[in-house]
This record gives sequence, C-alpha cells and structure tokens, in this order.
Amino acid sequence: MRSFVPITIDATWIAVDIATVREIGGPLTWIALPTASAALPGVTAWRGRAIAVADLAALLGAGPRLASPTARVRTLYLQQGSSTLAVPVDTVREPLVVPDEDVRAPRSRNDAFCTGELDVEGHTTLVVDLGVLLEGHRPAAASVPH
Amino acid sequence: MFLTNKPTASRVAMVHVQDPRVRWNVRAAQVLRIVPAADWRAAPPIDVLAALAPAPAPHDDTLRVIIVRCAGGHETALVAGGPISVADVESGDVLPLPIELARTALEISAIIVAADASLSLLLDPLAIATPDAALREEPCPSRS
Repeated sequence: MRSFVPITIDATWIAVDIATVREIGGPLTWIALPTASAALPGVTAWRGRAIAVADLAALLGAGPRLASPTARVRTLYLQQGSSTLAVPVDTVREPLVVPDEDVRAPRSRNDAFCTGELDVEGHTTLVVDLGVLLEGHRPAAASVPH
Repeated sequence: MFLTNKPTASRVAMVHVQDPRVRWNVRAAQVLRIVPAADWRAAPPIDVLAALAPAPAPHDDTLRVIIVRCAGGHETALVAGGPISVADVESGDVLPLPIELARTALEISAIIVAADASLSLLLDPLAIATPDAALREEPCPSRS
C-alpha cells in the first residue's frame, strides 16, 4: 500500500508521498532570486531557516508561474532528504492510501520527477517525486567541498 | 538605526535598498561609499537584479550606486534601484540560502527576515564580481 496527499494546481492533479509532507500551510510569503531556475524560482523562511520554493506549475506547465510576492492559497512543505521545499498549490485533498498496483507508469508525461500515475476522484493524477527534481539542483560534491 | 538593549554583537549593520523589483541588502562593512551614479567613472555599474526586470528608470538625476569591495579589494558599483537606508539586523534574522539554490544564486548569500516577516535578499559582493572566486573561497552556502 502507498499513501499520498493529492493536490491541485490549476486543473492539474498531482500526488505527493505523504511521508514527505511536513506541514500544510496557507499562502506563502516568498522572494524571487534574480538568477533562479523556473523550477526553484525563489526562497522563503520556514522554522528559522531559508528553504527553496518549488513551482510545480512551471515544471508541469500547469497554469501561470509563480510571481513574487504572491503565491497560491495553500503551501505544502515537503521534506526530501536533508532539504525542505515550499510548494504553493491551489488545493490540498484528503490523504489517500492505495494498493501498489493502482499506481501505474505515467502515460501523459515522461519527466524523471513524474514517477507514476493514478486515478483520484475521477482525475488522472501524476505522482511527483521532488527528490528527483532536487538532484539536479544540488552542487556537485567536487565543486562545493565542505 | 534601531534602538535596542540587546547585545550589539548579535546585530549586523546592513545597507538596505528598497528596489521595487526585490528589496536587497549588502553588509555595511563591505560598502566603501555611496555616490551619485553620474560620479562613477569606472566600469559600468552592475544591476544585480537585471534578470528579474529592467532597473527602474530614475525620475531625476539622483540615481546612486553603491561601491563595494569585491574579490582582491577591487571596487565594483552596484545600481541602487530605490531608496537607500542603513539599519542593524539581528544575525538570527539572516538565513543562509539552502544548498539547492547555491548553484543558481551565487550572488545571493542569504535572506533577511524583517520584523513584519517580509523578506529581502543579502548580496555577496565577492560573488557578484567574481562568482568562481567566491565559490573557491567560501564553499558552503552558509556563508553569512
């Protein structure tokens, strides 16, 4: 069995692993970075530290991109390893538990971060793994030694 | 300046620019001087927010530039696209950027959280002038 939190952005349904959800909040206050990527356009403060803001709309082509300082009405705070992301969304649905076999290979997209697809309330829903997205944004170990 | 009875060691003086695109700061200790843009005769001033939007057009000849010390002690001029002020901020309100943003936001070292929870950027002049040098000298994103 797998557990997800379904969310929507514009008309696009997305599911994230419930184990990654740390908090569900209201509208986000964030600030744009001048040279940021479309996927991680800015930064916000959360629990005394700065965390990246992820724009799923930009990644999925689902509605208008985020434009600082406004965001969407809800914000998911997702933990991916040592990183936390703030993800503005339009709605957050009831968490659901589904059998493994209900999660099929994604047919509508082939992005690496889209790891599956399932049906939620009659909507085809993309299973998104933001950990995959983050891998492309972490500096290589050789260029950022500690 | 704010008046406070808190230990001054935990406070950092910042030069703050109310740029209408994004508010930003630079540590006062890194600022050499602030001059009218017309008085700056060296290399063209750098607009660090150019990727967000064009710099606001000045209404008069009061556009100023902030001269900062960059790698090697060289001077670089930064376009101040809005009113400039100086204030102390609590060091605890300076939050280093997460590592995911270190690759794409080299010139930004942190965000600053104001008392009203609004956010502004903290620029790293060393990275603005010579991004590669900044990575070599300060490899961790937690450089504030």
